[in-house]
Amino acid sequence: MLKTQELTLNLGPHHPSTHGVFRCVLNLEGEYITKAVNHLGYLHRGIEKLAESRTYTQFIPYNGRLDYVAGMLNEWAYVMAVEKLMGITEEIPERAEYIRVIVGELQRIASHGIYFASMALDVAGASAWFYGFRDRDEVLDLLEMVSGQRLMHNYMRFGGVAADLPDGFMNKLDKLLNKLPAAIEEYEGILLGNEIFRARTVGVAPVSREMALDYGFTGPNLRASGVDTDLRRDEPYSVYDRFKFNVPVRQNGDTFDRVIVRIEEMKESIKIIRQAMEGIPEGPVMAKVPKVIKPPVGEVYSRLENAKGHLGFHIVSDGSTKPYRLRIYSPCFVNIGIFPEMAKGLHLMDAVVALASLDIVLGEIDR
Amino acid sequence: MYGQGLIKGLSITLKHFFERKITQQYPEERPVLPDRFKGSLTLKVPKCIACGLCANSCPNNCIKIESEKDENNKKRLTGYKVMLERCLFCGFCVEACPTKALLWTKDFELTKYFREDVNLDLFSSYVPSPDDEKPAKPAKEDEESAQAS
Ligand code: SF4
Ligand code: SF4
Repeated sequence: MLKTQELTLNLGPHHPSTHGVFRCVLNLEGEYITKAVNHLGYLHRGIEKLAESRTYTQFIPYNGRLDYVAGMLNEWAYVMAVEKLMGITEEIPERAEYIRVIVGELQRIASHGIYFASMALDVAGASAWFYGFRDRDEVLDLLEMVSGQRLMHNYMRFGGVAADLPDGFMNKLDKLLNKLPAAIEEYEGILLGNEIFRARTVGVAPVSREMALDYGFTGPNLRASGVDTDLRRDEPYSVYDRFKFNVPVRQNGDTFDRVIVRIEEMKESIKIIRQAMEGIPEGPVMAKVPKVIKPPVGEVYSRLENAKGHLGFHIVSDGSTKPYRLRIYSPCFVNIGIFPEMAKGLHLMDAVVALASLDIVLGEIDR
Repeated sequence: MYGQGLIKGLSITLKHFFERKITQQYPEERPVLPDRFKGSLTLKVPKCIACGLCANSCPNNCIKIESEKDENNKKRLTGYKVMLERCLFCGFCVEACPTKALLWTKDFELTKYFREDVNLDLFSSYVPSPDDEKPAKPAKEDEESAQAS
């Protein structure tokens, strides 16, 4: 006798399409998802707790281990928070701020590059995957030149950056920036116009404006749902108020829009780096800060626009050399919360693509 | 026309198909690494004054220093071990060194067959070289911060 029955399926924790060790238990009715439950914590390393046993300076390298495809931006968020706590935000040399903007935007391009690449792979577009990684690699070469490492940079310091830009950096950066627009055009040509890709993404897993706000989306995911917000423009930190750039916003909030927003953002990042290259002044790259960092008693919350959304650090200081408590507000953690709702009723293969489009990095979700 | 996007995508791949390959033929072709590259660690033993700043700055306590006092009551290094298996490759130790005795090398092939082989004994593996002159006198403030930290 024939009968149908609901199937429970584990997506992950080790699955090529889950972008890390993320596990999701799906209830399937045929190939359609009736229920999805997130299971997190497979990559939990207790980074927040580790901070309590490290001095403020010693915690900087751990930030690269949060969102490991955008390490520079995490470090920046952390040093910004501690600088605010110490009250030295005004004293940071201009050159250091410009360098931070340049490496930060480079990191954003690298992060979005990997997003595009893995997105392409999840719809089985292997060649587009390689193009994304090809360009990301060149960006990483530059970051390696600056900091000595490709992913875990440890380049930001309280009051500036660890070292000045190396010789020949500007030339290489210029060359790369000349190449990137053509590469991005290629991304658009190979994927965005592709009929199969459109069929798989347009109108799939839409997140309405209300839903995005209810779930606390930030960053590109929120902008894809039609909310015009960007911390770099709305609460300019560092020297972002000196640069002109657009904030790409899309209305539908579906998978396709989330891809487009990020590709447009890469173009804007190129614009910002160009302006920063022109405006960068000479001078020192470090403010005068004491060797032993002892922020005054108090607490601080500071955030910046990461490649994934608002990355915030809440630090409580008891006046000693180590943070009393450190809390990380992770955009990926918030963004993944919508997945069970989003996956309901989706085709299994579409759910994989929708998950990729949220741009999650498990290192930051589990911390 | 339906399928136009597909054809455009294929033409892009086809163009790249006939282009020069950009894949690096590692290990035959060696990567060119920047000066700041953080590979493995090396210690110029004669330069080291056993001040312990590197060990203090390390987030993970990877560095173990052994030293003894000689007849002039000066510290002399007798052992220097780095637990590379716990190293974050952050570079704080190299930055902290006042005499530039501790340096990065560009050696990045650090895989080993056994776990104990990963750790470095920089003191006994030191090969004397004429370039490493005697330790430079460290600046005053460095000594002060050594006591502070
Ligand atoms: S690189 Fe960092 S973790 Fe490794 S030994 Fe030096 S200070 Fe310690
Ligand atoms: S900081 Fe430099 S001089 Fe001091 S103990 Fe370490 S390697 Fe030797």
